[in-house]
Amino acid sequence: MSIPIYTYDAVIVGSGLAGSAAARELKQAGKNVAVITKLHPLRSHSGAAQGGINAALSDVDSIELHEFDTVKGADYLADQDAVELMCQKAPETIRWAERMGAAFSRTDDGKIAQRPFGGQSSPRACFAKDRTGLTLLQTIYEQALRVGVDFIDEWYAADIIYEDGKVSGVVAFNIRNQEKAIFNAKAVMFATGGYARAFKISSNAHANTGDGLSIVARHGLPLEDMEFVQFHPSGLSGSGILISEAARGEGGKLLNSEGERFMERYAPNKLELASRDVVARAIINEIREGRGVGPRKDAVYIDLTHLGKEKIMERLPELRDLAITFLGLDMIKEPILISATAHYSMGGIPVDIDGHVRKNNDALVEGFYAAGECACVSVHGANRLGANSVLEALLFGRHVGQSMVNDIETLYLREAEQSDADTMIAEMERILTNNGKETVPGLRNELQQSMTDNAGVFRTEETLSKQVEIVKELRKRFENIRIDDKSKIFNTDLQEAIELGHMLDYALFIVESALARKESRGAHYREDFTTRDDEAFMKHTMAYMDANGEISLDYMAVTPGKFEPQERTY
Amino acid sequence: MTTITTQTITFNVFRFNAETDYLPHYKTIEMEVTSEEVVLDILNRIKWDVDGSFSYRRSCRHGICGACAIKVNGKGVLACKERMNDLIELFGTELTLEPLSIKRAVKDMIIDKEDFWKKHEQVKPYLIDEIDEHPESENLVTPKEEAQLLEADYCIQCGLCHYSCPSLENNESYIGPAAFAAAYRFNADVRDKATLDRLDIVNAPDQGVWDCVKCFECQEVCPKEVNPIEKITKLHNQVFENGVAINNVATRHAVGFAHSIKKHGLLDEAELVRYSEGTVPMLMKHGKVGFKMFKVGKVVMPWNMPKSDKLDEVKALIKSSSTVKF
Ligand SMILES: Cc1cc2nc3c(=O)[nH]c(=O)nc-3n(C[C@H](O)[C@H](O)[C@H](O)COP(=O)(O)OP(=O)(O)OC[C@H]3O[C@@H](n4cnc5c(N)ncnc54)[C@H](O)[C@@H]3O)c2cc1C
Ligand code: SF4
Ligand code: SF4
Ligand code: FES
Repeated sequence: MSIPIYTYDAVIVGSGLAGSAAARELKQAGKNVAVITKLHPLRSHSGAAQGGINAALSDVDSIELHEFDTVKGADYLADQDAVELMCQKAPETIRWAERMGAAFSRTDDGKIAQRPFGGQSSPRACFAKDRTGLTLLQTIYEQALRVGVDFIDEWYAADIIYEDGKVSGVVAFNIRNQEKAIFNAKAVMFATGGYARAFKISSNAHANTGDGLSIVARHGLPLEDMEFVQFHPSGLSGSGILISEAARGEGGKLLNSEGERFMERYAPNKLELASRDVVARAIINEIREGRGVGPRKDAVYIDLTHLGKEKIMERLPELRDLAITFLGLDMIKEPILISATAHYSMGGIPVDIDGHVRKNNDALVEGFYAAGECACVSVHGANRLGANSVLEALLFGRHVGQSMVNDIETLYLREAEQSDADTMIAEMERILTNNGKETVPGLRNELQQSMTDNAGVFRTEETLSKQVEIVKELRKRFENIRIDDKSKIFNTDLQEAIELGHMLDYALFIVESALARKESRGAHYREDFTTRDDEAFMKHTMAYMDANGEISLDYMAVTPGKFEPQERTY
Repeated sequence: MTTITTQTITFNVFRFNAETDYLPHYKTIEMEVTSEEVVLDILNRIKWDVDGSFSYRRSCRHGICGACAIKVNGKGVLACKERMNDLIELFGTELTLEPLSIKRAVKDMIIDKEDFWKKHEQVKPYLIDEIDEHPESENLVTPKEEAQLLEADYCIQCGLCHYSCPSLENNESYIGPAAFAAAYRFNADVRDKATLDRLDIVNAPDQGVWDCVKCFECQEVCPKEVNPIEKITKLHNQVFENGVAINNVATRHAVGFAHSIKKHGLLDEAELVRYSEGTVPMLMKHGKVGFKMFKVGKVVMPWNMPKSDKLDEVKALIKSSSTVKF
């Protein structure tokens, strides 16, 4: 049976802030665009962002300060041209979102209100109560809908058409009934979001399985800086569900099993408000040394009781609610249990400043773009600042949409063929008919647990080498899986298996890249190399996977700018 | 929580696959449930440990994406935010897991939500104004003006209200509580320029706000306290305030509302429907709903009428609707 081929000017995979913003630009410019998304657009993880979105809007702030904070926060691994673009365009972007309908919290004179966030010299995070991502996602989706963007939801993008340095389409199937299709286009964009689901304790949505990264990598294209995964200090014990930085911002104290306010030992000046990586390491260290609390002794307390009921209800209602739901603990009355949680993916598909995907250090892929958390442009370097990532997704999503509009004038449509769907069909067939012994949940659990144990907040040569072997072993066992569901309708068993295959592939990029980076920088902390080594490692990792699944590493220069590397202290 | 407790729970799980099954069936599964777990943990464990073909929607697990709404013993819940212990306290140790709408089930907990999204799109759920693509300043909106949205922007489109609404169940063209909340969200926004367009949509007979039977189900079930019925009442007001009311069953409903209030000092649902449609059509059209409302205690006998806690709302409506003469 032949597979239908649909033709567009542009096809976008992912409908979070990045994908939806690009789609609206393209549609408004009169381009024929489709957005393929495995979730309904409003279920995208962008909607979960709580805290805020940065822009130097106020008189006391400046774009240059925003740039500096971002580059310093990134531990100098960010590309400064991209940071400049982002910080300069941030005010316009926020105001544009406001003009489209975003329901920002306001100051008394009607302007967009801003709050302080970690690592920032000025209150810079614009917010909508504690649901900033929700209003932004709704707004951009609604306005894309308004201009008539074609959202193709609950479709799973499984492959790209890549040949001779050019991408000319996406191969996908309908999750509802396994109907397959080829989406042939002049330009293709990936906006598939983050990959922190490879870790057991994670703040990420179930959907954040990093499919986009592996799809790209399987064609021999590079992934950049994959070792940099941010661990947020305050995830709820057990689940990793996020308790925003606001809890520490409002005065939360961290206590160990001896009732000691242990941050006095790790960061005597900033205490709980030291940067995310410092606090996360302190927490894990307390637990490792046996001073953890809770039923599994795998957490520390954050105590907010001294704030009093009124302040908690006014400032942190959503967070209180989350702790009650997931821990049964009311922060008004008692301390709650938190620990570090895998939160954000700094690395991803390497792109230039206009979103063109890189083929290698020197060349670009024709007709292929990426933006948002799946991309590495790189504005976050080794560690991203709070409230910079929704900004990146929205701003670069739009910017890359514009760059596609321009490029489409000169890009040609390479016509797709039936055989372009072969890889996807073979992958689906294999999983549906394989009759092995391994289960998807079993392997996934082993992967996630071992990634948290061996490639988490603390890493060493020993744990990382061990993890390389574990991932390779799990990949072999994956060949031997069996799924229960053989039917066509909403076969989420099949989908989870395909997603696991992706997780296994990019997990190897994370550990191989981390193993080779013999220094500590930003979120990547090596106990055997505890300092930053600018001489040897002031460069981006570019990792490639060959046909046998082996990873090889290369490095790419960081784009310098006006800020010279300094030691990062807070 | 210093210790984790465990209980044995019997789950009756709705199973259906539209491709292979003619009828749904219920599968009984016994599981140890810990005091830490939410409903989504149970769904995950059924899929991961018992039967991989079991299907449901989920994504964020933070109670913010709206994907995971299902029913437990008939109660609409967001699976990722509903604590097992609370449900056990409410219903005991035997729990039935079902999709939001059985007639729309396609696979286990997954329903076809197309009608929900169509209704959403029907009310023009976006800010309508000329958008400045490169603005140098924002619109000025005072905190007071912003507060007029009344949290309607907090709706996560979970569909819990939509699939619990008796009016919708009886009348497929009825737009429904979630979409009305969205209509209100934009009409209440000082930046929006399409209030009248949206009022035409929400004022139209059959589909419009006048077909709400005011059962408060949507308010009760909403996990985000969006309170759709409050927004519906606000839309009633906007219809009169903007002078777009027309003399039809719909607006007579509002006059009936006012009449009912004047007579009893509070709202009598049954009386209200009779006033606007006449007794016989009422029984034919709303018989089932009326009975259901009666069963769940939503129809109050005149001698048992509770005091309205929304008296201001009610007064405003009487005032605005009493200027209309039919
Ligand atoms: C709990 C939490 C709180 C956060 N809070 C903040 C904050 O306060 N400030 C901040 O700046 N950042 C925050 N972040 C980070 C920020 O939310 C994300 O980085 C950002 O929203 C990512 O947007 P995106 O558009 O790149 O991807 P997403 O919004 O994740 O969208 C990904 C899209 O890709 C689609 N997709 C993926 N794979 C496929 C496939 N194979 N086929 C089809 N479709 C696919 C999905 O359906 C989805 O539509 C937070 C993150 C978390 C987890
Ligand atoms: S109050 Fe109205 S809209 Fe809400 S559930 Fe009842 S009938 Fe439906
Ligand atoms: S109004 Fe409430 S119940 Fe209805 S869809 Fe929105 S969030 Fe869900
Ligand atoms: S999984 Fe997103 S609301 Fe439950």
